Amino acid sequence: MPTPITIVDDSAMSRKLMLRALPQGWDVEVSQAENGALALDAYRAGKADVMFLDLTMPVMDGYQVLEAMKKEGLNCFVIVVSADIQPKAQERVLQLGAMAFIKKPVSTEEVTKILKEYGIL
Amino acid sequence: MTIKPLTADQKDALQEVLNIAMGQAGDSLARILDAFVALSVPRIRIVEVANLGKTVVEMVGENIDVSAVRQAFYDDLRGEAIVIFGQAGCRDLADLMGYDTDIDADAEHELLLDVTNVLVGAILNGITETLGTELSFTAPSIMAERRPIDTIITPENLPWTHALLLEVNYSLENRAFKSHLLLLMAEDAIESLRKAVNDFMESI
Repeated sequence: MPTPITIVDDSAMSRKLMLRALPQGWDVEVSQAENGALALDAYRAGKADVMFLDLTMPVMDGYQVLEAMKKEGLNCFVIVVSADIQPKAQERVLQLGAMAFIKKPVSTEEVTKILKEYGIL
Repeated sequence: MTIKPLTADQKDALQEVLNIAMGQAGDSLARILDAFVALSVPRIRIVEVANLGKTVVEMVGENIDVSAVRQAFYDDLRGEAIVIFGQAGCRDLADLMGYDTDIDADAEHELLLDVTNVLVGAILNGITETLGTELSFTAPSIMAERRPIDTIITPENLPWTHALLLEVNYSLENRAFKSHLLLLMAEDAIESLRKAVNDFMESI
């Protein structure tokens, strides 16, 4: 059965770049969300076993998504994908429960490495 | 001269390019200040130069005193980068950089020039790296010092009618520091940028 994943980013181009960076042969069913609120909806609808999450977004940002998940005890494998490359931003998202951090522009190698590391791939 | 607006796709692509560049500039700022820098979602719009002063007041806030530093860029893309610092934020900067908070005007100049150079350099490099364009830039210079926000932009001095305004904001947690970084490009530069963005979109 394909793994449901959701790509969360306010930029359509950025979502497209993320889609293209997914490793070939990974059996997934991809949903997309353009802000954090829609990302949580996708998770609740069972569309996000794995979530690729941007941080800087309107309506509800990536930090707020992680906080909400933590508060509600949601069990989603979140990989943050962000242009905010400050070490403190990385620290903070990991503390909030994200499993990994990838900086933009995203590469297939990096995504593959993380997925393999956690036995998802 | 009328300006063809950016298409939704061009705007989205440019926004993402700016987002990446803004992140790199924010990281540079965080490193020199040893603080966590909060980033905004970049904004892009085409404005009439005659209304630029008003637009800037709307962005930064009414009735505040600011200092501003400008830096010109040229080659593949041509325009002006302007960084606006609120006065309260200047004191924070001085504090974080280890100066006495009652620094004199000369020391404050130097500080603002240094910070601008770091921010503008990082953001322009971020843009050129992503778009594959070449840019050079001038040394930064002070364009306004502790002046009311509504007096810093004098559109009559600009030979343009329209400008593309790219805006990113940086603020610090638990501090008053806030800076607005504007990139302004004139009519001909908008077309060069449009072409660079189109090429970039085709390449992905």
